[in-house]
Amino acid sequence: MAEPESNPFAQATVAVQNVHVRYRVPSTDAAERRRGANFVKRAARTVLGNDPKVLVRALSGISFVAKSGEQIGLVGQNGSGKSTLLRIIAGLENPARGRVLAESTPVLIGVNAALVPDLSGEQNIRLGCLAMGLSPEQAEEAVPDVKQLAGLGKSIYLPMKTYSSGMGARLRFAIATAANPHILLIDEALATGDAAFRERSEARMQRLRQGAGTVFLVSHAAQTIEESCTRAIWLNKGRLVLDGPAQDVALRYRKWAWAVAKDKPDEAKQIIEKAFSEREQTHVHVEDTKQPRQYTARHVRAPKNARPTAQRK
Amino acid sequence: MSAPVPPPQPSSSATSADVADLYKEIFTGQQAALEVVSTGRLSQVGARPPIGTYLKQLWGRRHFLWAEARAKVTSGTRETLLGQAWLVISPILNGLAYYLIFGLILNTSRGIENFLGYLVIGVFLFQFTTQCVTNGAKSIQSGRNLIRAFSFPRASLPISVVLRSMLNLVPTLAAMLLIIVLLPPAEAWTTASLLFPIVLVLQVMLATGLALLFARMTTVIPDLSQLLGVAMRIWLYASAVFFSIDRFAEYPSIVGIMEANPMFMVLDAARDCLLYATVPDAGTWIGLSAWSVGALVVGFLFFWQGEESYGRA
Repeated sequence: MAEPESNPFAQATVAVQNVHVRYRVPSTDAAERRRGANFVKRAARTVLGNDPKVLVRALSGISFVAKSGEQIGLVGQNGSGKSTLLRIIAGLENPARGRVLAESTPVLIGVNAALVPDLSGEQNIRLGCLAMGLSPEQAEEAVPDVKQLAGLGKSIYLPMKTYSSGMGARLRFAIATAANPHILLIDEALATGDAAFRERSEARMQRLRQGAGTVFLVSHAAQTIEESCTRAIWLNKGRLVLDGPAQDVALRYRKWAWAVAKDKPDEAKQIIEKAFSEREQTHVHVEDTKQPRQYTARHVRAPKNARPTAQRK
Repeated sequence: MSAPVPPPQPSSSATSADVADLYKEIFTGQQAALEVVSTGRLSQVGARPPIGTYLKQLWGRRHFLWAEARAKVTSGTRETLLGQAWLVISPILNGLAYYLIFGLILNTSRGIENFLGYLVIGVFLFQFTTQCVTNGAKSIQSGRNLIRAFSFPRASLPISVVLRSMLNLVPTLAAMLLIIVLLPPAEAWTTASLLFPIVLVLQVMLATGLALLFARMTTVIPDLSQLLGVAMRIWLYASAVFFSIDRFAEYPSIVGIMEANPMFMVLDAARDCLLYATVPDAGTWIGLSAWSVGALVVGFLFFWQGEESYGRA
């Protein structure tokens, strides 16, 4: 497994700078209903049947830089902001504060299974390839490859609404990797795949990373992160707890999760506070350069092994 | 040849990007790491591109637009016994229903020459605008799966709705022309009929502009989709679909308002071309062109301005 530390000259592919995300969402919490708001507002709520809106801080102050060749695992409880972070990196949502910079368009593979439910898997492959900007010829070329990676057999000709969630996820993964994205974001999508598919998908991700790409992987299973990632980021309640080598982060996260599961809040608190204090805070500084680029663009270079290696003068 | 190929030598000298990464080396020893990235190499994700780039991206996705529209047209009738034949049968049945009720039973011509033709043109063409506007307004909602999966210019969705309605319009138009030519009183083709496609082009531009406009407006105020149905019905009655504008001859202000209505101009011009063998007057052409171009430009700019907001669910 490639170790990021050994390669200080790996190019930055994604820079997340002090990102904050908030949502205003309706809440049925009775305490929230009684709190604040004058009489008129409460009366209006009752008449219209609306619930009071509360502010949810989904992410606060996240900063890190991802390098080429890294596979970064995101760990954390349900609702800790992992999926939100991926959506922000993919540019599908914009943060309330801060910004995300990327070298190329990131491709996100989410959990909602169907793309266009009425269409067959095969038609969805074509549509997805075209949506990513491939030409009809390229899309046609990609179809056999995608079919093979998805490995759905004859089911590929059935409407996608008849697929199980695992089948849908496999197809989405196969489609998303058809365009050879440099930055791939995977949101639990592979958790539903069977063993054979997992092997194939891991080979595919390996290939993407060797092409100087970066892969982000969300998973609850710390073991998956430990096995396949080079680096891990632990999120808790929208905050970054720890960012470091996958082994270390995943181990601490497992210990913490175990303490929470065994109902030992003090121990859990101790672990998380220790992690917090040892965390190396990252400040991302963005230089706004308007000068013409002095290096050859990545897509112009030779596709393989073109990663610059460490060479000191 | 079995000689192992040596990996290509790294060709990078110390460029500005590499120097930027060197900063990391220097600063990692400290508790707070500073990461410096430059906008020369990374660009902000999810940022709204300038209008020229946006149009170019949209043009690049033309195959996607076309594929999406075609797929959706057939998916509506997929589970029926007659399948695609319904695309032709239903407008013909529709036209016959109007012939039966208004032409034979009620006989409500009220001084309108060829009332059946008048009615059919009004109903069928107005139906196209209604489809474009109401489905266009829903397009962001219904395309959420695609929005969450791929990044593409979001204007693709409302535009694809218009394309789909145009595909639906083809059999409808055929039925309409058949009714006009075959059923009594039969009309003959004249040179004025050749102008009909131009009227259609202007109508499509108008509908596209409105679809884009309402697509963004309903994402901001979801309640609008409830109001839109009522608004379209009022517009239908205000566009002289079932009756002649001569009814209001004694109220010049009402006539003035109705004549400024772009859909009235569309229907009036279409009837002039197809039924009355006259070339629509210059005022109609100028007024309709102004509406169409205006709606398209305003709708497009308005939609483009909100480009960053559509990913939010």
